[in-house]
Amino acid sequence: MSAGFGQLKALIIKEFKEAFRDKRALMVAFSMSLLAPVMIMVMSKTMIKEMVDKPTVYAEISGGEFAPKLMKEFRDENIVPLSEASENDQRIWQKRGIKITIPDTYGSDMVEGRVINITLSADYSDKPSLSPVRRIKDVVRDHARAIGYKRIIMRGIDVRIMKPLNIVEQDRSQPSSNAMMISIMLGLYLLMGAFMSGLSIAIDSSAGERERNVLEMLLCQPVSTLKIVLAKLTCSASISVLSIVLMLTVTSVSIGFVDLTKIGATFNIDAFTFSALLILLVPICILAAALQLFFSFQAKSFKEAQSTVTMLIMLPAFIPIALTFIDDRPAWLDWAPVAGQSIIMEDLFKGLPVNWAALAVTSLVTIVMSAALVLTLAKKLKSEKVVMALS
Amino acid sequence: MIKVENLHKTFGKDVKALNGLSFTAKDGEITGILGPNGAGKTTCLRTLYGLLKADEGIATIDGISAVDNPIQARAQLGIFPDKFGLYERLTAYEQIDYFASIHGMSGASKKAAIEQILKDLEMEELAHRKTQGFSQGQRMKVTLAQALVHKPKNFVLDEPTRGLDVMSTRILRDYLNRFKEQGHCILFSSHVMQEVAALCDRVVIVANGKLAAEGTPEELCQLAGETQLEEAFVKLIGSDEGVAA
Repeated sequence: MSAGFGQLKALIIKEFKEAFRDKRALMVAFSMSLLAPVMIMVMSKTMIKEMVDKPTVYAEISGGEFAPKLMKEFRDENIVPLSEASENDQRIWQKRGIKITIPDTYGSDMVEGRVINITLSADYSDKPSLSPVRRIKDVVRDHARAIGYKRIIMRGIDVRIMKPLNIVEQDRSQPSSNAMMISIMLGLYLLMGAFMSGLSIAIDSSAGERERNVLEMLLCQPVSTLKIVLAKLTCSASISVLSIVLMLTVTSVSIGFVDLTKIGATFNIDAFTFSALLILLVPICILAAALQLFFSFQAKSFKEAQSTVTMLIMLPAFIPIALTFIDDRPAWLDWAPVAGQSIIMEDLFKGLPVNWAALAVTSLVTIVMSAALVLTLAKKLKSEKVVMALS
Repeated sequence: MIKVENLHKTFGKDVKALNGLSFTAKDGEITGILGPNGAGKTTCLRTLYGLLKADEGIATIDGISAVDNPIQARAQLGIFPDKFGLYERLTAYEQIDYFASIHGMSGASKKAAIEQILKDLEMEELAHRKTQGFSQGQRMKVTLAQALVHKPKNFVLDEPTRGLDVMSTRILRDYLNRFKEQGHCILFSSHVMQEVAALCDRVVIVANGKLAAEGTPEELCQLAGETQLEEAFVKLIGSDEGVAA
């Protein structure tokens, strides 16, 4: 028994030595865990800026001189005539072409209480124009309402008569779920990291070894193929776990540079979330390594392994993206590998209590699937078909 | 001792790689397997390693069946395979250490065995270099060292001198002779007649998946009525009638 363990230990140590000396594969493995936090930081900063800031809107306003009060309201909301823009801004906003036309009868119509048509002309399908258009509409609507209320009060009527119903909104979302964008991104990156980080190492230690003619020698040694597969699995899965730990750590640091209070959100990865995420993702790392080894051991060459396995492995990584499009999820998804973990991760980020039973079941299903893959692969490596493919 | 008896192996429907091959490689002898390409040499050796299962017949290593108990049979073997590669990111020492551990060695005895083999093959100065960029001769030494570090009773080499220069071939030859004197069983496949004639105590000629002739190089020459082993070989594989025992 101890001799058998010594063998496994030697196999594992060798895999780790080779993996850690393969600088390129390591770089690929850890690049995601370093890039993802940066992406999250940059994207959330841009998002917050868009939500909070009111950048200047330049519009071609004609007839502004007929409605000085409305013009003041526009200016208060940072909506100004195009003529005041700098040369550079003028070029951009000219192209966008947002036009506001105030009729010359504005003053007399106002006095006589007629409906005044203010024309807003813009390309509504142009995404950058959407926010300016919304802001212009808001200003006009608020200004019109203010005048309307004044007219009613002047006639001695309570303005509340205009509002027979009031909706009281209670948002039950936790402060952390306001940072939904961040958690969705982080969740995707974590799952991708679990799936992709060990990829190049798994391919190198299987298809790569076959191509370098070292696999045959190993298969001729007095060691079971199960141990060989387990050693390679351990190495590849450990690299993925390491990559995830790195990603989580760097994210917790980098998210500190984003001022989430501006949008009333909080986001931090505390010790509990950290460990819960790890418990959740370790089985995924194992499943990913098992899948990668399973397919790349059967590829005819290193190149084939690289192209087909990368494609195959991408599929499960897209499960969480697909999940966001399913509103009413069937119950079995809670237990399915990847989907189950993805759902629990979502709850974790929302600050909801973790469904430990679902976590246990989905982890178990994932581990059982990995074990089945490992056993099948160990059996396949003993088959003559694999041996014949060696030369 | 390596014993092969009545091995049959068919690939697909009608590719007969082995057709009743039998021979014995005794302890304290170097036995050479000679045969044209496609005669079934590699298939026979792979059956010995337990990588392929014979349709019929038995292959044993020190009495252990390679078919029924491949892992235990392999433990009695040192293998120098047909195509050998190295773990290029490991040093020569680490690679030898790896194979020693796979053979169940550990601790001080493992260390001593590695030091010994490095000394025997005169490769101490190579030991702590990564094997990437090694010359063919250096690669041969590493492969030899990893195959022999556990001091196997039986040693199988599949065309080991291919691509080696004179010096490396001589080292290999010396080492095999020393091994033989210690009473080990050496099975050796090759295409180089001079080498087989110089090194082997007994030669097994394989053609069409079965034994064509067997004996010392001199006996084979006599049998074929030739003075050179090469001529004898051509004659023996060409006309298996009358000569094949």
